[in-house]
Amino acid sequence: MQSALDPAGGDAQRIYWLTVIMTVGGILIFLLVTGLLLYAIFAAPERRAWLGDRRTIIVGGLAFPIVVLSMLLPYGLTVMRDTDVPTPGALPIEMVGEQYWWRVRYPADQERAEFSTANELVVPVGRPISVSVTSADVIHSFWIPNFGGKIDMIPGRINRLNFTAERPGIYRGVCAEFCGDQHARMAFDLIALEPAEFEAWRVDQAKPALEPDLPSLVRGRELFRMGGCGSCHVVRGTEADGQFGPDLTHVGSRRTIGAGQFPNNIGTLAGWIANVQHIKPGARMPSYGSLTGEDLRALAGYLESLK
Amino acid sequence: MGGRRTGQILLMLAGLIAWAVQFTAIYGVTSTLCGRGWADANLLGLEVVPMTILSATLVTLAATAVALIWSFRNYRLAKHQPVAAVDDFVSHAAVLINGLSIVVILWHGIPAFILPACA
Ligand code: HEC
Ligand SMILES: [Cu+2]
Repeated sequence: MQSALDPAGGDAQRIYWLTVIMTVGGILIFLLVTGLLLYAIFAAPERRAWLGDRRTIIVGGLAFPIVVLSMLLPYGLTVMRDTDVPTPGALPIEMVGEQYWWRVRYPADQERAEFSTANELVVPVGRPISVSVTSADVIHSFWIPNFGGKIDMIPGRINRLNFTAERPGIYRGVCAEFCGDQHARMAFDLIALEPAEFEAWRVDQAKPALEPDLPSLVRGRELFRMGGCGSCHVVRGTEADGQFGPDLTHVGSRRTIGAGQFPNNIGTLAGWIANVQHIKPGARMPSYGSLTGEDLRALAGYLESLK
Repeated sequence: MGGRRTGQILLMLAGLIAWAVQFTAIYGVTSTLCGRGWADANLLGLEVVPMTILSATLVTLAATAVALIWSFRNYRLAKHQPVAAVDDFVSHAAVLINGLSIVVILWHGIPAFILPACA
């Protein structure tokens, strides 16, 4: 589960401490003031008289707030300065919010070709990341609580968020702006890998889809073609080149399907294809309920084989 | 006597007026330059945005400090002679207002030393 209280990056750490200090400080001051208020109401007049002293007013009403605020102001400004800083040489990644999933694009650089995937933001640990976000339809919001900052994905506008993952792991990201009926089922994984693993992943993802090597998988690919899946989905290396839905070239390598909703295996893939509108009503993909059990297994098996 | 009272009240408000001047100078220059994308505009090798903030802060601080010293003197004088209740109040308030204005002007100047010009 995602949690903003378990920071895994520098920015999240800073925001976390800011939150702790403000909350604890606020509570202490609130208790102090409430205590004094009760004392002023209930204590005997001669005992509470000091509350009205000029000294009390100057110390408690002027000096104290001035000192506290004079410390908080530079502290808050420093947090602001050090959070979400663009770093030269950061790894650029592009994410597009779509109803109700995430398109993730790794742009080409000198050596590597570009490719797209979905619902998975894979990053190397220790290297600054610069995510550019936008939206294909309505406003979404990109938020990985363990990494701090949250940023709106606005159609026609590119926003940027900079962060560095400090320890390997899998963190959950969510859409933080209501975007339609399946808003709550719009999540993704941030997967932080060691740099070498990340490079290997990147090389694999840039390759075209694997050729099916079993008759049932060949049958699955045929069903994919006949079913018109390729009008919405890309499988690089085949004729499927639809841009509307998630890139499925390496769908079998992903942890989840349906934007973080179901573990990825042949059963859930089959369930998804036959029943999308039942398990994620309103998703922009039709259910294919008329496939026979055997065909469904072949089709799901083919997708699962696309590692 | 009317002139004296006007002077007293002006003195009482001096810090607030200085603060308003600093505020207008900082926000005016920063938002105009940053809004037009002239974040690192230079004048004789000095960066305009932080320099405006710094000089507006120093000038208004100095003015407020003078007002504070002056109002403190008035306050001491008023303490040692019988004065009307209004004068007593005004001389009191003048010290407080000018003192707080110093704090507030300082707070307004601090970001220039921490954040980049158009953060
Ligand atoms: C009208 C366009 C459209 C067609 C046709 C279509 N899909 Fe989809 N598909 C989508 C969209 C949009 C999503 C993302 C839905 C979501 O998660 O909200 C999706 C998601 C998926 C996913 C999950 C991918 C992931 O990583 O989460 C699979 C698997 C899938 N489709 C398979 C198929 C198959 C197989 C067919 C053909 C039988 C097909 N789709 C036909 C639009 C389409
Ligand atoms: Cu959304």
